Amino acid sequence: MRGVGKEPHPVLIAFALVSGLGLGSMYGLLALGFYITYSVSRTVNFAQGSSMMLGAVFCYSFAVTLGWPPALSIAAALVLCALWGLVVERIAVRPFASRGSHGWLMATVALGIIVENLTLFLFGKEPRNYPSVLADTPLDVAGIPILPLQIVIPAAGVGAALLLHFVARHTRLGKALLAVMQNRDAARLMGIDVERAIAGSYAASTVFAGIAGILIAPLFNVSSDMGTLFGIKAFAVAIVGGITSAWGVVLAGFCYGVVEAMITALFGSTYTQILTFAAVILALALMPHGLLGKAGTQKA
Amino acid sequence: MKASTAQLALSLAALAVAAALVFIGNGYQVYLIAMVALTTMVGIGLNVLLGLAGQVSLGHVGFFGLGAYAVAILTMRLGMNFWPALMLAGALAGIVGMALALPALRVAGPYLAMVTIAFGFIVQNGAIEWRSLTGGANGITGVPAPVLASHVFSTRDIALLAIALAALLLFLFDRFATGSWGRALRAAQASEIASRSLGLDLVGLRVTAFALSAAAAGIAGGVFAPLSGFIGPSAFSFFQSILFLLVVIVGGAGTTAGPLVGAILVVLLPQLGARFAEYQLLAFGAMLLVVLWLAPDGVVGALTRRRRRDYGSGRALPTGRWSPDESGGRMLAARDLAISFGGIDAAGGISFTAKPGAITSIIGPNGAGKSTVLNLLSGFYRPDRGAVLLGDHRIAGSTAHAIARAGIARSFQTSQLFSGLSVAENVRVGLRGHRLGSLFPLESGGREAGERRAAAELLAFVGYAGDPDRRADDLPHVDKRLVEIARALARKPRVLLLDEPAAGLGEADTARLATLLRRIAAMQIAVVLVEHDMGLVMEVSDHVVVLDAGRCIAADSPSAVQRDPAVIKAYLGEHGYEPRPRAVPLPPAREPALAIAALRAGYGEVEVLHAIDLTVAPGEFIAVLGANGAGKSTLMRAASGLLRPVKGAIRLGGADVSALPAQRTVRQGLVLVPEGRQVFPELSVSDNLRLGGYARRSADLDSEIERLFARFPQLRERRDQRAGLLSGGEQQMLALARGLIAAPRVLLLDEPSLGLAPAVIARLFTALAELRDEGVTLVLVDQMAGMALALADRGYVLEGGRVRRSGTAASLASDDTLRQAYLGGGAAP
Repeated sequence: MRGVGKEPHPVLIAFALVSGLGLGSMYGLLALGFYITYSVSRTVNFAQGSSMMLGAVFCYSFAVTLGWPPALSIAAALVLCALWGLVVERIAVRPFASRGSHGWLMATVALGIIVENLTLFLFGKEPRNYPSVLADTPLDVAGIPILPLQIVIPAAGVGAALLLHFVARHTRLGKALLAVMQNRDAARLMGIDVERAIAGSYAASTVFAGIAGILIAPLFNVSSDMGTLFGIKAFAVAIVGGITSAWGVVLAGFCYGVVEAMITALFGSTYTQILTFAAVILALALMPHGLLGKAGTQKA
Repeated sequence: MKASTAQLALSLAALAVAAALVFIGNGYQVYLIAMVALTTMVGIGLNVLLGLAGQVSLGHVGFFGLGAYAVAILTMRLGMNFWPALMLAGALAGIVGMALALPALRVAGPYLAMVTIAFGFIVQNGAIEWRSLTGGANGITGVPAPVLASHVFSTRDIALLAIALAALLLFLFDRFATGSWGRALRAAQASEIASRSLGLDLVGLRVTAFALSAAAAGIAGGVFAPLSGFIGPSAFSFFQSILFLLVVIVGGAGTTAGPLVGAILVVLLPQLGARFAEYQLLAFGAMLLVVLWLAPDGVVGALTRRRRRDYGSGRALPTGRWSPDESGGRMLAARDLAISFGGIDAAGGISFTAKPGAITSIIGPNGAGKSTVLNLLSGFYRPDRGAVLLGDHRIAGSTAHAIARAGIARSFQTSQLFSGLSVAENVRVGLRGHRLGSLFPLESGGREAGERRAAAELLAFVGYAGDPDRRADDLPHVDKRLVEIARALARKPRVLLLDEPAAGLGEADTARLATLLRRIAAMQIAVVLVEHDMGLVMEVSDHVVVLDAGRCIAADSPSAVQRDPAVIKAYLGEHGYEPRPRAVPLPPAREPALAIAALRAGYGEVEVLHAIDLTVAPGEFIAVLGANGAGKSTLMRAASGLLRPVKGAIRLGGADVSALPAQRTVRQGLVLVPEGRQVFPELSVSDNLRLGGYARRSADLDSEIERLFARFPQLRERRDQRAGLLSGGEQQMLALARGLIAAPRVLLLDEPSLGLAPAVIARLFTALAELRDEGVTLVLVDQMAGMALALADRGYVLEGGRVRRSGTAASLASDDTLRQAYLGGGAAP
């Protein structure tokens, strides 16, 4: 199983690095969604991949099928994603979490299957190509052909993480969310509606997934199952990053993307998934609480 | 377990019918029947995880695929006979499952889900990519049929084999689930800490479950290979893992017949017609969601639940006298035990000895470290320093289950009975301890009857008179306490640790408990009792150890401890500081600011507050006093809205807020500064204050924060520091300031002096006196009864969830009721 004797070209390596960083930032974006809901409510949306798919499908339908202007299409798609997050929380999470059941795990999986198959019937089986001016002509960056979108994607990923950081640190809403994360009862005593905070965290989580879906659609086509594997990888990223640490999750996203792209560049795509998923298991065996996660809660 | 035997019989009958159908069906129908049987097998394996251990595997298709490829490769490439290949396939899946479970089960929940997902993908992609071995995406065709005594199996024969194996697994599952292993797994799922306290090693237990579960899937896969003749990676997708889970959840996790029912539905429904097949994934998703909503126990679970209600068993049971091990008790000694959490000493150098045949009580005010000591003794905490000696053996630092095996049993403050198990089963988990014996106990009649008799004797010994087959979670509170003691005694312990066994008991039940405790001690067991019912402690104890702020302040006979000035000081809080009483008496009130009438509240089925009446006039300072467990904190939680629902009325300026949740009562002006301060540790001091004013959108918070900084200058110095880094006293000031900024009409304070040094307490009470003089309406719950009464206008003394006395602060301060309420009888009745 050794690599073939031929050394890969340095440009290939650089190219892999760029695309790895891009994909990695998107894994990180989805994983931030896992982080938000888990921190606030100790639950996650296992259908995060289908939320991402919905973002892409909505945006495609508005921009390409209906011919709306891009900005409006994106805004409308993200609003629908937020509503979808509220629906997920209301029907697949709250009924179970409120009675202390772990049923939310399977319920969100079920909801993901339902929405993917509904999309399959309504949107069609054929993957659609999503044209974008950002994915037409590659730029020449130091001899490496790079699509403008491949620069926009990691920028947008980091931008979203920074935005989340800013909202958390500097807005009334963000501080209320942090309060709920740190002490639910005390947050209630401050007059914060914890149930609404949880619903809001689900909306934010699906919006993040929607952004990722819209961004990568021009690179990968739009189809009803585009999010399934992506969502699972993002979950791996969230877990490896230590699901309770926002920056750990973002960092793990970049690591995962780069490792994945490098394995593909060096050994071919053959072993990519085997090696990356094996790395996930190994990482969890060595660091049971993830890269930057905390080992349990400390008694104050 | 009558219900499971009936389920087993029905399932086996159904499989017999399936076997008969194999002889009359056409080729495709026979294939379908075989698929039902194989799916049932995987479902039975998953049921061990999901139904008994409470763990989810999202990658079970990996084990199924592993078994299929193992049989195909071993028979085709190595020319091995099918039968040993099938056994190897099962063993391989079991070993891989064990290896996978070891890291995954240390961390449960989403981590385990991730590891199993990753495993499923590795198997599927390995099958695609390792072409030389697996044929890649094209798969392996022409897997040979099994041969037995030169008879080559037809599809029909393979279907019969699958049915026979499914029947065998059903039988083994029934043996496993109703045997000691299944019971231990269900116990561990219901309460991890209680099962560890009974000597169960959870990692070993769950790894075994995972290995069995994986082996069942591997064997099913091994039969699938010759049945289908062709295996390719597309059959082992992530979605197939979800379908396997669907089988168990729809059928009923934990039930014997569940996987069979689920397999029939999942395999046969898509055959209803081509239209259905097209929408099958949609239908399965919807089915899963609906079952989760409406019948979380699945089809079989829903059916048997109704049956259980219809036929409640009321059999008479053998009664007898339980007697413990003759080898006798051991001395338990703590030597200089110390532990700290986050820099705060929860226990600092505690030493005492508990003699066999005697009751040693550990008492002390809230937060003194009593439960911490029990957790150190039983191995749930590892001490930073010091030793625990059981006889001559040092046991501190061992795991909880090892300490349990050494002979220390314990009960827990909140009931940790195994909720899904019957009363008798709870005791039987204790009787077995870690000696679980055979995985699939075949002949169980004699042992079963022996264990049932022993359980019945123990239950009779502790005074439980109810039905031993009743589910533990349906028991009344008193019986839960008794059964928990019986379960601990089942370990034949040398030392018995009891954490607040009398909490929530009425007078008559407490008296019976006292008799029971004496009888246990009379059997030469060393009993260690943590309890705040002082009447009980003073009545039954041979020796009383008094803790305060993590230190041992007295250790003597009950009567000596009651007279010890240091103890009285710790309980009543005389710290040499004289708070300033109100200079000008409060004018008589017109309308109460807060009026609580006939308030009843509690947790679950335990009512803690029994019809409390309490009024607070505007500007008044009220002290609420009482011993630990009297219901003071529950009263604060109920008033503030953290505890809902409650019965009775809570009127704030005339409007009833008893139905409002905490976030709405705050907006009405009823503000609680909670026990334990509960600042937001990762947020800065000014952010904590800003959150205090969260409900006041229009207010000018900045200038209010400035005013609070003027009142509490040490907070100003630390305004940008994280609140978690403040000292305990500073955190309390912050919590108080955070309550004040909400502009309270009535400010409730729960134990603000808890865990603070005397000088800090003096500063705190000075601040409270200033607030009182400025006209803030205050309700204070505090251990420092003397100081609280010195500040207050009026006071209430709670005992057992009722108002025992109320009156002016001066009249209460001179009254003996108070000392009695805190330290129990001894004085005049």
